Amino acid sequence: MSALLEVDGLEVDYGTARALDGADLRVAAGEAVGVVGESGSGKSTLGAAIGRLLPRQAVVAAGTVRVAGEPVLDLPPAALRRLRRQRLGFVFQDPIASLDPTMKVGAQLRLVLRAHGRESPGGRDGGRGGGDVAFHLERVRLDDPRVAAAYPHQLSGGMAQRVAIALAMAASPELLVADEPTASLDSQVREEVLNVVFALARQAGTSIVWLSHDLPAVARRCDRVAVMYAGRVVESGPAADVLGDPVHPYTAALARSAPAVAVPGVRLEPVPGRPPVLTGPSPGCAFAPRCPFAEDRCATERPEPVRVGAKDVLCHRAAELEVIA
Amino acid sequence: MKETAGEKETAGVKGVKGRRPRQRLDPLSLTGLGCLLLLVLVALGSLVHAGGDPDAIVGPRLRPPGPGWWLGTDNLGRSMLPRVMEGVGTTLLLSSAAVLVTAALSAGFGILAGYRGGYLNELIMRVVELLYSFPAIVLAILVAAVAGPGQLAAVASIVLVTIPLMTRLVRAAAVAVAERDYVTAAAISGAGLPRILGRHVLPNVAGTIAVQGTYALSVGISVEGGLSFLGFGVQPPQASLGVLIRQGGTYMMAAPWLIIGPGVVLVLAILSINVLGDGLRDRFEPRETRSLI
Amino acid sequence: MILDLTDVTVSFTTGPPLRRTRLDAMRGVSLSVAEGETLGLVGESGSGKTTTSRVALGLQRPTSGTVRFDGRPFPRRRKDLAGRMQAVLQHPHWSLNPRMRIGQSVAEPLAVLGKAAGELVPEALEQVGLEAGFAERYPHELSGGQRQRVSIARALITRPSFIVFDEAVSALDVSVQVQILNLLKDLQAEYGFAALFISHDLGAVRYVADRIAVMRGGEVVETADAATFYAAPEHPYSRQLLESL
Repeated sequence: MSALLEVDGLEVDYGTARALDGADLRVAAGEAVGVVGESGSGKSTLGAAIGRLLPRQAVVAAGTVRVAGEPVLDLPPAALRRLRRQRLGFVFQDPIASLDPTMKVGAQLRLVLRAHGRESPGGRDGGRGGGDVAFHLERVRLDDPRVAAAYPHQLSGGMAQRVAIALAMAASPELLVADEPTASLDSQVREEVLNVVFALARQAGTSIVWLSHDLPAVARRCDRVAVMYAGRVVESGPAADVLGDPVHPYTAALARSAPAVAVPGVRLEPVPGRPPVLTGPSPGCAFAPRCPFAEDRCATERPEPVRVGAKDVLCHRAAELEVIA
Repeated sequence: MKETAGEKETAGVKGVKGRRPRQRLDPLSLTGLGCLLLLVLVALGSLVHAGGDPDAIVGPRLRPPGPGWWLGTDNLGRSMLPRVMEGVGTTLLLSSAAVLVTAALSAGFGILAGYRGGYLNELIMRVVELLYSFPAIVLAILVAAVAGPGQLAAVASIVLVTIPLMTRLVRAAAVAVAERDYVTAAAISGAGLPRILGRHVLPNVAGTIAVQGTYALSVGISVEGGLSFLGFGVQPPQASLGVLIRQGGTYMMAAPWLIIGPGVVLVLAILSINVLGDGLRDRFEPRETRSLI
Repeated sequence: MILDLTDVTVSFTTGPPLRRTRLDAMRGVSLSVAEGETLGLVGESGSGKTTTSRVALGLQRPTSGTVRFDGRPFPRRRKDLAGRMQAVLQHPHWSLNPRMRIGQSVAEPLAVLGKAAGELVPEALEQVGLEAGFAERYPHELSGGQRQRVSIARALITRPSFIVFDEAVSALDVSVQVQILNLLKDLQAEYGFAALFISHDLGAVRYVADRIAVMRGGEVVETADAATFYAAPEHPYSRQLLESL
């Protein structure tokens, strides 16, 4: 079974700064994968690379991205547009900014639907939106008919984000990439929006790649989790496994150091130091300077993925650490 | 847990979002700058009569370009070369002086209006809009009617024409700066209005002022050209590009070089300034762009 | 009580003339912060916590109710507070003047009072874990976490008795957040300032606060010891916030 999304050894540079240093990712059809990383980990670059939406300054130094077998980075423009139209959907962090401010919501939805030949001719009242528009808005639990007639700036953040999801899902993509879609939303609304995304995706059989900095939230909802550090995926596997029994020292430290898991009276120990800024391929393991388990070879030899149980871990000492942890 | 000054971390590798690019101006803008400097040199040269005496009669009238008069002679037999040089000098001098006045005034009004808001903002913006609603040339003629034609009219018109847009843009920039946390922090620490405006707002809208000032310069050159062309600006025998174009216009059919010389120089000046302005804008107000291919 | 808000209501009128509507950003809010104590204020967007922060800082006058700092109303001139109240604000990106060197930014509160900074700047930078050499840098050369540290150094330099932290860690990565939160606790232990810590993140708030007030829709719905918020807060909204952690 070949995966829907295959990223192999992707290396991306922005001028002298390296954003991805050999990233690997696999997403199967119908699967929800959470990609967790802090700023500088490269997760947004990875998300953008899936649809070849990298800024002009980005240079792909090595590696491949395949969506449904097609090599995304090498496609000619027309084929790329077709791929994006038919197979990919994107949801970004700021919903108001990702919607066209000059068009009403219903009109934008109709635009997408028309591109897929799904517009039902002679739908309901022309101004408010055809039957299909209402259907798609209902799928994201926006039942109020006034939404379709509204402009994006008239909606609340949560509603606008649901519209963005409806737009992305209207074409029934095979893969939905969501880049921190709930970062600008309240916790209550966040739960609703996430419920909508995951329910809709499950129903439609759409795979999800969900980029986030919040490990516990991701692990709760996704099938698998990939943790990124310094442009590589350092640990990936079943969600509960990665969160509950992390092997890679970075994942373990991340899971331990969220304020949310603090116990009263006990001081949290953050991961000391800061993530590195790479200016080229990392000579060894990028986490070595901050790692309590680092050995000599960690600084000079790049680790390869090691299979530990159901997880893939990028660490020279993975096998030992599994026992220690 | 100390962090040594040796480890310099950048704010993430997501591209050039919100970072000030430290690169030079692009080649086109540099060309514009080069052209402008060339024109300034020419203007300075005219002060020492480097190309000749603009008022001296050197030969027969209406001669095409040739030895002794490299840009031809006009209807009085004066060599066009020194006259065009003087024209460049006069035009640049008047426009620059005007733009400096505009920059100072719009900086002052724009920052006050943007930071304070409220009634002061309303007052300033309404006056500005009133000025803006006049077509430039009408405003210029009005000024000439009041002040009498001449250099003062030219300078005053340029100021009045360029103040509205510049004030608006400075105000917009000031509004954006005013809500930034470092300004609030300064207010919380007890900084008074002069300090806040002088140390925090002004330095951070200076980029906008520089960029818009550059564009205003090219507007100024056009306004001076137009006003002098109509006879309300610089008065002959003093030459400015507008005056020269007017004088040349009369003989356009017989002696096209009389109008081509100043005309080309005028276009060159405006183009190079605009291109320079674009380059400055890209450098000071970068926009993140994604290529979708 | 170093800060006392009593029954504060802040109303704004919006809308076109002749059809104005009244919006209550805060309604009957009462809060107090004792000396040396950290009061946490949790609320989501629209809860009124931003307005509360501005009222506490003296930047917003209440429509009704009273605000007392150190037992007295705010003086007419901010300078008369003599730096006893400072703030650390949210955006690491804009918390420092990009045109001023770090050292100048940190010294600003003293400069405003007409005092020379001298050795206090390097000392302040070291207290927040930055080497003194940072004083020569410009903000764009620093990371988000480092910039927040500089903001904290700036807030401390006048030895205030009260600091408002308004979403001070929200824009930072989780691991950096913890570093800054630990720094706050250490600094408070050393200098004894009182603090109002405002955030939408209950996890961060309960880690640093002694008592917590929860705001929603412009009102305070619950105030209790931080310990309560680990186990079982009373108000259903508080419980909802706790669950979503």
